[in-house]
Amino acid sequence: MSNILECKDIVKRFKDKDALKGVSLTLEKGKIYGMIGRNGAGKTTLLSIMSAQSKPTSGSVNLDGEEVWENQKCIDNICFSRELNPLSTFGPNNVKVKELLRMASIYYPYWDKKMADSLVKKFDINIKQRISKLSKGMLSMVTIIIALASKSEFTILDEPVAGLDVVAREQFYKLLLDEYNETGRTFVISTHIIEEAADLFEEVIIVNNGNILLKENTMDLLERAYHVSGSADDINTLIEKYEAHHVENMGRSKGATILFKKGERMESSQDVMVQPVSLQNLFVALCGKE
Amino acid sequence: MNEILTQEKSIYIQISEMIERDILRDIILEEEKVPSTNEIAKLYAINPATAAKGVNILVDRGVLYKKRGIGMFVAKGAKEMIKEKRKEDFYDNYVKKLLLEASNIGITKEELVRMIEGSQGEI
Repeated sequence: MSNILECKDIVKRFKDKDALKGVSLTLEKGKIYGMIGRNGAGKTTLLSIMSAQSKPTSGSVNLDGEEVWENQKCIDNICFSRELNPLSTFGPNNVKVKELLRMASIYYPYWDKKMADSLVKKFDINIKQRISKLSKGMLSMVTIIIALASKSEFTILDEPVAGLDVVAREQFYKLLLDEYNETGRTFVISTHIIEEAADLFEEVIIVNNGNILLKENTMDLLERAYHVSGSADDINTLIEKYEAHHVENMGRSKGATILFKKGERMESSQDVMVQPVSLQNLFVALCGKE
Repeated sequence: MNEILTQEKSIYIQISEMIERDILRDIILEEEKVPSTNEIAKLYAINPATAAKGVNILVDRGVLYKKRGIGMFVAKGAKEMIKEKRKEDFYDNYVKKLLLEASNIGITKEELVRMIEGSQGEI
């Protein structure tokens, strides 16, 4: 039984850049986590270290207290379905879909062949085609099939919906929920399509500049995030009092995104308009640079 | 159920309000089973914990009750309960906003009363 995946002080240094600057993160079994962050924030690096596919410069990753690096017992319980890139000359590009799925069935000890076959049918994928010849959407579908059919306790999907059309994305969210309801597996999903997936995540992890900016229950987070607007004087008073982000001026008017502390609240009044914000709005407010 | 979710309110609140509306409109009857949290989660592509939170608000208020191993059911007298609660909330949800907007644009109390009395509305 795997219950807790824990990263401690992960640093990943590339030649000229620290991709991760001391990340600590604990994931509990049985939740759907969403990981969001800008391009280059360090999401994929972190996910591949979490799944023991690359080694951190320093720091450790433990599954139930056991170091995961080169530890077969731990690796058996973690699946990281990477984004496939048709242009890369390395990796599985020259093989056919059929062969890639067969490799996955050997690599993942809990592989569910029946599920993989039914998903191939559902997504209408030609398994005789080479990976390098697949469209962007088809590539996404193959990574989704591998992730779901791996049946790994901790399953990590790196941008599973990039390249999928809106109908296929909806289909994926429902497939994921079906699998989650049935098994209670843990999923970590990174995505740039925040608006759609926000309601799917029990917890959201925001990665920014090689650090974890925030990890919190999505509902709790949104319940303390509001956009306020009104006269510059009124809003300035609020900005001094509360944690404010993304302040914007227009003439005498001012707006800001406010992150209240738990339990703090403010009502709309005649002078100050208080509006709820979406996870996407909040993300832009927190991570967007002026 | 089957309404479209909006950005204006927390999703779990929208879920609980939707179930209430269905009970008020006799789409779900008293002593009948309401959709499971997994069904609701899948319909809206939301986390089952969110759907459960919406359902549990109604359980806490006695509108729904749990039959172990079967699911959630609408309690007897749920319709009355919902109406009572909405009456209680009427001042906060409607009257307060009405008064705020009235004062914003300078409608006096007398004018407001005259409008309500003269309205050809349903009351």
